[in-house]
Amino acid sequence: MERLHASIQTVWSIKLGLVWAVLLVAALAYELSHLFVDERTLPLGVLAGLVLVMGLSISLGLPRLRYRTWRYDLRPEELYLEYGILNRVRTIVPLRRIQHLDVSQDVLEREFELGKLIVHTAGSRSSDVVLPGLQYDHAEQLRDEVRTYVLRDTTPDAV
Amino acid sequence: MTRQDAPTQAHTPPAAESAGPQGITQDLREAGQRLHPLTLVQRLILSLPGLVFLLLPVWRSPGGEAWFSLVVALVYAVIAVPLIVVQYVRFRYRVTPKELVIRRGVFTVQQRSIPVERIQNIQIERGVLPRLLGTAKVRVETAGSSGAEGVLEYVSLEEAQALRQVIRAYQREQKEDVLPAPPAHSERPAAEVHTAPATDTLFQMPLGRVLLSGAFRFSLFYIAVIFSGLQYLNLDPEEIADWVMRERYGAYTSAVEEVPGWLLAAVGILVAALLGWATGILINLSRYYGFRLWLEEGKLQRRHGLLTVSEGTIPLPKVQALILRTNPLMRRFGWYGLEVQTMGLDVDQAGHQVAVPFGRLGEVERVADTIRPVQLPQAFQRVSPLMVRRLALRYTTGLLALVAVGVYFFEQTALWGLLAWPLLVAYAYLEYRNHGYVLQEDTFYVRRGVLRQHTWVIPAARFQVFYASATLFQRRLDLASLYVDTAGASSMAFPRLQDLPAAEASALLEEVYVRFQETLGPAQPHQDPRHPLPLPVRPEEAAQAPSAEPLSEPPSG
Repeated sequence: MERLHASIQTVWSIKLGLVWAVLLVAALAYELSHLFVDERTLPLGVLAGLVLVMGLSISLGLPRLRYRTWRYDLRPEELYLEYGILNRVRTIVPLRRIQHLDVSQDVLEREFELGKLIVHTAGSRSSDVVLPGLQYDHAEQLRDEVRTYVLRDTTPDAV
Repeated sequence: MTRQDAPTQAHTPPAAESAGPQGITQDLREAGQRLHPLTLVQRLILSLPGLVFLLLPVWRSPGGEAWFSLVVALVYAVIAVPLIVVQYVRFRYRVTPKELVIRRGVFTVQQRSIPVERIQNIQIERGVLPRLLGTAKVRVETAGSSGAEGVLEYVSLEEAQALRQVIRAYQREQKEDVLPAPPAHSERPAAEVHTAPATDTLFQMPLGRVLLSGAFRFSLFYIAVIFSGLQYLNLDPEEIADWVMRERYGAYTSAVEEVPGWLLAAVGILVAALLGWATGILINLSRYYGFRLWLEEGKLQRRHGLLTVSEGTIPLPKVQALILRTNPLMRRFGWYGLEVQTMGLDVDQAGHQVAVPFGRLGEVERVADTIRPVQLPQAFQRVSPLMVRRLALRYTTGLLALVAVGVYFFEQTALWGLLAWPLLVAYAYLEYRNHGYVLQEDTFYVRRGVLRQHTWVIPAARFQVFYASATLFQRRLDLASLYVDTAGASSMAFPRLQDLPAAEASALLEEVYVRFQETLGPAQPHQDPRHPLPLPVRPEEAAQAPSAEPLSEPPSG
């Protein structure tokens, strides 16, 4: 069983941080606009402080927890995934059910040379199964391994 | 834009020659076809309700304020009529041996090519108007689509049927190119398609059965629709009643005021129930009138409807799973329904096609057997009884939250809501009782639901992806859920197996996956992946005739 690349935690942290930064800006705007209001429902700085503390703890904490729960394994016949903090999910994707494959990388992941492997199946809830946080080269390597299998496999599509 | 290669074009499908009127078939192949000219009339008539809708406020209040609606209606008329004509003029379609091409659009031209081999269902629909005018609507659906990929509305009925036969012939032809020998049952001449359907009827519903099925269907939804329609039309139900009773309604209302409230409520509920019952019957009458299901060329053919007759096909190899449906009342009297789960056929039913709307268990099993041999298990393996506790806890929390909100708005009265608590606990228990699974040799049966009871029959060869999951709460009780994903599974009701003991869930996950791999056999590599060879027949498939178990992998791929 393999783990994701550790730097995915940083990527997740930055992404969550960005979302919370937007919320923080909104909160600060509220604080500023209510600076001279006498009858306040919230004392000065409470909202912004709350958002700041929550934002920091969530964007720093959540990625670590998430990273810790992730495991994956590419076996001869299947891709096995294990993840989830509150809801722990184990997924078996039989390689012969894979219809097509993607390796994707967003701007942030590019900075860290990370990528994700996306496998598409005909299953209605599994049309795209994502394996994030791989070193980009490794993601491509995994893709090629899976592709070799898919190309050689003769199981007809069941759909 | 059409990708057609000369050799395929040159060779004519054997079945298409004998199919339908020769001229139509020929024209289809030659060049772009227009829709039936009567389309113009039909579109115009169909656009009238919109106009009436816009003009209604004008009629209701002839005063000065309604001029705006009048202007809108005028603009609508000025735009809609030419639009209908232009739409008709610019619409073209044609069938080539490789694809169905539809070119359409008023402001932007859209050309869509639907590869023939991907077409799964060619549905012919005929509403009241098309039946009067001898036309039909053709809906072409493909695998993996959400809804119809191509709609021809309207063409003449002969053309619709010819279109279907031509496309089927091309599909057969393509299969023959891949496979050396076509399955024997596809050899029937296409001309018979619409003349001799009575031969192998699998299931049909006489009128009495249709009405009975409606009686088991209770729907308040349409009543709500009717009343909101009345609301829009500004028609007061009291006014109508007054008119119907010839102005004696006032006398009735004053008499009614003396009746105690509880009796009024009871009568109100009774009337609502009767209305719901009556609409249920009407809905089923219009939907399932003359329902017939028959098998033809390895496809289930279905035809039903009173005002709108729809005709459709379900190719057997495309069937992913079978779903046996019932509800407590139906089960009490021994009635069941059968749906087949397919992929991308009909988005309105989330990939579920009704094969038997309403029938005895024996009839349902007989139909199911033609799709795949089914042995409905007598007893299901139960999940952990802790499920009752979890559900009861969940419902209690929900009820308390509701009551809390109720108390906020209506004060103490809302506390009566707590009386519903025993019902919720009983319901949780019933859910547990109705939940279970059986893993037979190559079939996974999952049952769940109380008011809507579903039994899924999922062949191992149709499994897609396997999930086991455990939420925080489940982990505390050492429970887990299991879900085997299939193509076309509904997102509303799906065969998730919840609250198994964790160890059992893990073992079952393993077991289900092993069955899947065993059923499909070892992966057989081509000698050279760059030059795929014709599919080798696997030993277990050679052992059984292709028609013996259509749900196992079709040899075509």
